[in-house]
Amino acid sequence: MKNTQAEKEALERMRPGVITAQGFLGTDARSFADIVESDTEAWRREGVDPDAAADFLERLRAEGQKGLGEPAGVDGRYVVTVGDARGLLPCPFHDGTFHKNSVEAVDEKSGSRIVYSDLSVHLLRAHRFCQGEGSPFRLDPEAVSRMMR
Amino acid sequence: MNPIILGPLVVAGSAAFLALVIALVDRVVNNYGEVSIDINHGKKVLKVSGGSALLGTLASQGLFVPSACGGRGSCGACKVRVLSDVGPVLPTETPYLSPQELADSVRLACQVKLKKDVAIELPEELFSVKKFKATVESIVDVTYDIKQTVFRLDDPASIEFASGQYVQIVVPPYGDIKESVQRAYSMSSRPGDSGRVELLVRLVPGGIATTYVHKHLKEGDPVELVGPFGEFRVRDTPAAMVCVAGGSGMAPFKSMFYDMRERDAFPEKEIWYFFGARTTRDMFYLDELRRLEREWPRFHFVPALSEPKPEEGWEGERGLITDVLDRVMKDKVGKDKGMEGYLCGSPGMINACIAVMTKNGIAESSVFYDKFA
Repeated sequence: MKNTQAEKEALERMRPGVITAQGFLGTDARSFADIVESDTEAWRREGVDPDAAADFLERLRAEGQKGLGEPAGVDGRYVVTVGDARGLLPCPFHDGTFHKNSVEAVDEKSGSRIVYSDLSVHLLRAHRFCQGEGSPFRLDPEAVSRMMR
Repeated sequence: MNPIILGPLVVAGSAAFLALVIALVDRVVNNYGEVSIDINHGKKVLKVSGGSALLGTLASQGLFVPSACGGRGSCGACKVRVLSDVGPVLPTETPYLSPQELADSVRLACQVKLKKDVAIELPEELFSVKKFKATVESIVDVTYDIKQTVFRLDDPASIEFASGQYVQIVVPPYGDIKESVQRAYSMSSRPGDSGRVELLVRLVPGGIATTYVHKHLKEGDPVELVGPFGEFRVRDTPAAMVCVAGGSGMAPFKSMFYDMRERDAFPEKEIWYFFGARTTRDMFYLDELRRLEREWPRFHFVPALSEPKPEEGWEGERGLITDVLDRVMKDKVGKDKGMEGYLCGSPGMINACIAVMTKNGIAESSVFYDKFA
């Protein structure tokens, strides 16, 4: 599927070294539209609404912040560590800036582990973009869904 | 001539000609000649070649403004006040500048291109910041995700700093990381041990610098450090120090305590150190700090675990560090000489601790911190 002009420009900003050193695409060679379409299908297959997933991830982050930078237990099931770095990151679509952070959530029930940031959740909620395969902050629909079950 | 050979030759020739034209035009259009940078109202005046960004030009003259992203305009750290007209604020700068900073003519040094003479203001302490060539002397795991890394300074061979300050480690391109970046870490070594710099680096998932330190850096590797930076340091008053940290936030406090002990500095100060972790797995330097507490009567160490497991046999304080802080401040911390707060950690941790400290009688103006963000 072809990218729109806005997507093409955002895609350029997602490459390594533009906004973040590692970029948002990982090793994924697919077009932006193909990545979004494939992940949208994965959410549908898992029966999870991406907005509900974003709500879940934001709640984990908020609960994890109570650990004040240390790992915090959440719901007796998840161990969440919220790390903060200096600076802000603009969204590649130019619709906001986000505090530079890193949330590591480990689900002791399923064994799943995901890493994300405030910008990752925004990309999911506003643009339905989970990031490319191999991106360190990718919100893999299957892994997130497993954690939500 | 064979068209199969002629075609590529014509294309290559045209490309070379265009490149030559672009290079010539660039040389004429972008030749700004020599420009001067007036720093702090004539205190320092630099004569430099125009055309480059202010951040890099200052660095080439040995003046290092803190920057984490290597000048890509993505960290917002390299703020300087520009007193002369350098053109409008760029869209790449506005996300990082508050309305007050915009009103005060603060700009990002990496986005300001030097086209004519400029006047800027810089904090005086940046004049003593240097770039150090160093060698990794040792890397030790103090927890499963924190490494104590010691660098031997080669050139210059020693650093002058106040305990509590930080340095930036220059991370070279590695693996898929194509550009150099810099990241700030508080020094945990003592100023008295001036030939070494010790850092405590916690692995941040997806973090460029922490992954470099944890997975790529080896003993004997050459490294560049830039510093010292920061205003987080012990105040010369008799007030009790109430210090709070968790994880790698230990670093500036380790430097402060051992420096004070070595010099018997600020002898009237009582020191209370609250260190929070989730389980014993996240706790470190316990024996060392308990020994310091036994040997140094004015030092009081309060380690606390928020979720100790029964099998850990933890006999110390339990609960979130803010709850422990609240309890101990009420019951044990002497208030007769006043109190000061010292914090190192995430913005959430800092804000939560400030709330507890102000509730227990520390004025917000007497809470000092090194906020990670």
